[in-house]
Amino acid sequence: MAISISPSSSLILPASWNSSTRLRASSSSSSSSSQLQFSVRTPLLRIATPRLPSSSSRPRFLPPVQAKKQTFSSFDDLLANSDKPVFVDFYATWCGPCQFMVPVLEEVSARLQDQIQIVKIDTEKYPSIANKYKIEALPTFIIFKDGKPFDRFEGALTADKLIERIETTLNVKQ
Amino acid sequence: MTSQASTFAVSVSSAPSPLRRRGNFSVVRAQVEPSDKSIEIMRKFSEQYARKSGTYFCSDKGVTAVVIKGLADHKDSLGAPLCPCRHYDDKAAEAAQGFWNCPCVPMRERKECHCMLFLTPDNDFAGNEQTITLDEIKESTENM
Repeated sequence: MAISISPSSSLILPASWNSSTRLRASSSSSSSSSQLQFSVRTPLLRIATPRLPSSSSRPRFLPPVQAKKQTFSSFDDLLANSDKPVFVDFYATWCGPCQFMVPVLEEVSARLQDQIQIVKIDTEKYPSIANKYKIEALPTFIIFKDGKPFDRFEGALTADKLIERIETTLNVKQ
Repeated sequence: MTSQASTFAVSVSSAPSPLRRRGNFSVVRAQVEPSDKSIEIMRKFSEQYARKSGTYFCSDKGVTAVVIKGLADHKDSLGAPLCPCRHYDDKAAEAAQGFWNCPCVPMRERKECHCMLFLTPDNDFAGNEQTITLDEIKESTENM
């Protein structure tokens, strides 16, 4: 089964995630919040970002963050047990704008680490979750608050614009 | 069909080279890398269509490369270049129906390409090129 873990706080759900699969988050001293690890023998893979021509304003050195150990049995479980709003990126492997967002989300998760948890869902591996939330265009981003969709938008955007959107959204209802 | 192929692709989706030497070659291949022939066809199509429609590739050519590969992948698995930037209930049915086959109806009617493959000059992400080489495609997607 393929698992991918990026150095940021994003979780990428493994292929056979269903209610009977137990997942354990592993801690790592130099990476940010939750990482997922299969309890069965599975190679861990880091998805390397495609070498795109140097873009924007991405800072090279970001301070390391504490990681947490958590066990989830499903996406619903993850949503229910999160103490922060969850930012979900619905993507597909060969969707250009989705790949464009990979470094953007790394930067955003580092800059907003206390405010939000970033999760990526491969819609081809988890079609049922994608169908549940009526995902059509990719990428679609949904911000979950208290386990329920709170904001939703589509299309790639820069890190600054994305942070602006997230902060505005989360500050609306206080 | 494609979604089944993805589910049964046991091997890791982002490490094509070692996988190709193992068994389940056809399953892995469908999941991992589109054929060179289809990539070339979609590359040529993209260049021609950008010229014809007066649109430009993304200033970040990596985006262009990924979409071209996505179109090639669907051409291989479905027989038609279904838009890779959408989630579908039934890919085969969509490919047969045609609305989302590249160039899709929104693109043909309104020059709207949410894949960021064909960008009108006023778009923030638009570059100034209407060409992309096979080398550019390979290099910018080699780490996927």
